[in-house]
Amino acid sequence: MVVLLSAWACAGSPAADDSLRRIKEAGVLRWGADVQGGAPYIYEDPDHPEKLRGFEVDLAEALASELGVKAEFVQNDWSALVPSLERGTFDIAMNGLEVTPARTGVVLFTRPYYVFASRLMARRDDPSVVADLDSLKGKRVGTLTNSYTADQLLAKGIEPVYYEGTDEPYQDLVAGRIDAVFHDDIIAGIYGEPRPQLRVVGDFADGFYSIATPKTDHSLRDAVDAALEKIIQSGKLEEILRKENIWNDRQIGLIAWSDADQRRLLGEPVVSTLRWSHMIAFVQAAGVTLVLSILAMAIAIPLGLGLAVCRLYGNAVVSRVAEAYVELYRGTPVLLQLYVLYYGLADVIKLDAFTAAIIGLGMNYAAYEAEVYRAGIQAVPKGQMEAALSLGMSTPLALRRVVLPQGFRLALPSVTNDFIALLKDSSLVSVITVVELTKRMTITAVDVRSWAIPGLMCALLYFVMSYPLSLFARRLEARLARS
Amino acid sequence: MIEVHALCKAYGPRKILNDISLSFAAGQVVSLIGPSGGGKSTLLRCLNGLESFDGGSIEIGGQKLVPGGAKVNARALAAVRQKVGMVFQQWNLFAHRTALGNIIEAPIHVKGLSVAEASERAHRLLKQVGLGHRADAYPHEMSGGEQQRVAIARALAMEPAALLLDEPTSALDPERVGEVLDVLTALARGGLTMLVVTHEMRFAREVSDRVLVLHGGTVIEDGPPAEVLERPQNERTRAFLGLDRGPR
Repeated sequence: MVVLLSAWACAGSPAADDSLRRIKEAGVLRWGADVQGGAPYIYEDPDHPEKLRGFEVDLAEALASELGVKAEFVQNDWSALVPSLERGTFDIAMNGLEVTPARTGVVLFTRPYYVFASRLMARRDDPSVVADLDSLKGKRVGTLTNSYTADQLLAKGIEPVYYEGTDEPYQDLVAGRIDAVFHDDIIAGIYGEPRPQLRVVGDFADGFYSIATPKTDHSLRDAVDAALEKIIQSGKLEEILRKENIWNDRQIGLIAWSDADQRRLLGEPVVSTLRWSHMIAFVQAAGVTLVLSILAMAIAIPLGLGLAVCRLYGNAVVSRVAEAYVELYRGTPVLLQLYVLYYGLADVIKLDAFTAAIIGLGMNYAAYEAEVYRAGIQAVPKGQMEAALSLGMSTPLALRRVVLPQGFRLALPSVTNDFIALLKDSSLVSVITVVELTKRMTITAVDVRSWAIPGLMCALLYFVMSYPLSLFARRLEARLARS
Repeated sequence: MIEVHALCKAYGPRKILNDISLSFAAGQVVSLIGPSGGGKSTLLRCLNGLESFDGGSIEIGGQKLVPGGAKVNARALAAVRQKVGMVFQQWNLFAHRTALGNIIEAPIHVKGLSVAEASERAHRLLKQVGLGHRADAYPHEMSGGEQQRVAIARALAMEPAALLLDEPTSALDPERVGEVLDVLTALARGGLTMLVVTHEMRFAREVSDRVLVLHGGTVIEDGPPAEVLERPQNERTRAFLGLDRGPR
């Protein structure tokens, strides 16, 4: 008993920082980043897709070699880098992670390895965007979720349009879906500036990329810091940055970086807590989820019914087309369908994000509904159709008045269950910038640096929406079983 | 009013109907009997186009049905089906409608009657089949006998010139057979043209004007019930009726 207690006490002690020793013993430094962030940070070599390139890849290798270990890359969604670091998925996070007051409270930052400007871009043919963040009020401004640029916009009271990739906001800016993009200058230089339709409006506050380690791993942070110092002083960092063409005068400040600079950079960590405004935003986002799901289902039900009827009663061509639709939509991920509909077809048809979300989900669910109705219609006894025909009804009339109402009734419990699934699947539309409940939860969770309470709230809201439907489906099933 | 000429139908090598020619006059009540697989039900279902046939023709009230199924006969079928009603062995009431709803459906949507007109007719017919009190009952709430009587009322609501009945009492509990036969007897006495596929020999003998025996896809006996049932010419009819087994 005593042994157990003392073992528990040791494990819980914060003094037990063996992070550096652990890494040296393992011989591996695991670093987390997101390949989706793309060039120049980390990207697949176009000639050898299995090989990773980018200035952060080179820097990770240089750091590992200073520490006498090997670098091991761990892929992780960018917006979840900090929570993954906290739970030990990797040893350090290095992926254009800006030093923000919200982050300094949860992780340890090394000295910065890159200085970036926050660059505002707009269309050439749109003079209404000027070099003043206040002028952006009421405009749709795209940026990356939970980024330093997003924080600057929020501080001005501007609710950004959230993107998860780096290329998509500029694509949408060209397409006219948004009015401006506010992003790190590295990203603007690669994805925005090469587009002839776009112009740079201006650069705003400098920001800093630093390497993050877990809050308890002081020895690791200090070792990485020292290694970085060596890499900077030896000119190796400049070499790495020049390789990707991103060295500029801003970086000179990194060479003479002092402890005072570092203190100023880290500042006082801001303690952000869950506030009423978060709760209200959650309920609003739940409303978005609900409206989105209802409208998508309003497309899926009639479209699915049409597909089922075509498949069962159409001639060979019509039936084949309906079958192909069902197989295509069921056989490919809805995420891919949303991407294609929103970004892929932007040149052909320019849907706004919310409309694209409704149509994308509706067309996807129509395929599932078609199969549910087909089963329901086929479960209606053949004699029902014969009786209707023998009374002089035409086949379409018999379908409409006799077979389909009964088939739909048989399908209704499944339709209700599908609607519950749709409520949850609707979270996928965040990839095309619609902020619904799950996206709101991740934004808030990173903001308040806690996943537990926002996660529970989010779950509770989903449950409140789906449980009544679940009860309804059960009652329908019971009623069907009786008759 | 119904003319069947050289009707043929086969499933692969198996001949279901083999060169059948028949004529039915208005007001006739005809019983079709014979062993199962003899072609009785198939003949009946050909008459209103629920089955297609391979050769010959059917003429009903001036409309001609030819081989080729529903597609070829679409226009004729629409007219024929309003002239002849059908009653099924398994009733086939619309499960999602009440007794009343079943009866008014076709008059409203096919004939264009108003809901009031159709309902009035339906109530009268329900009373006629002894179910005036069951208008609001759903099929699953009714006995087989009740459902079959509603099905008869449903067919009559279209005011058909003839009624085709495919073994209307075969799926009923024995104690429910009488109530349906009573309704049919009353209809026969009222002068309705009826073709009934049946195993009820008493009905065939006492109610019908004419009895047909089908065997192997051909009509092997055709005549008044007394003649066919008491003194059949064909030995297969005698075997079917069990007349050879004992002295009579």
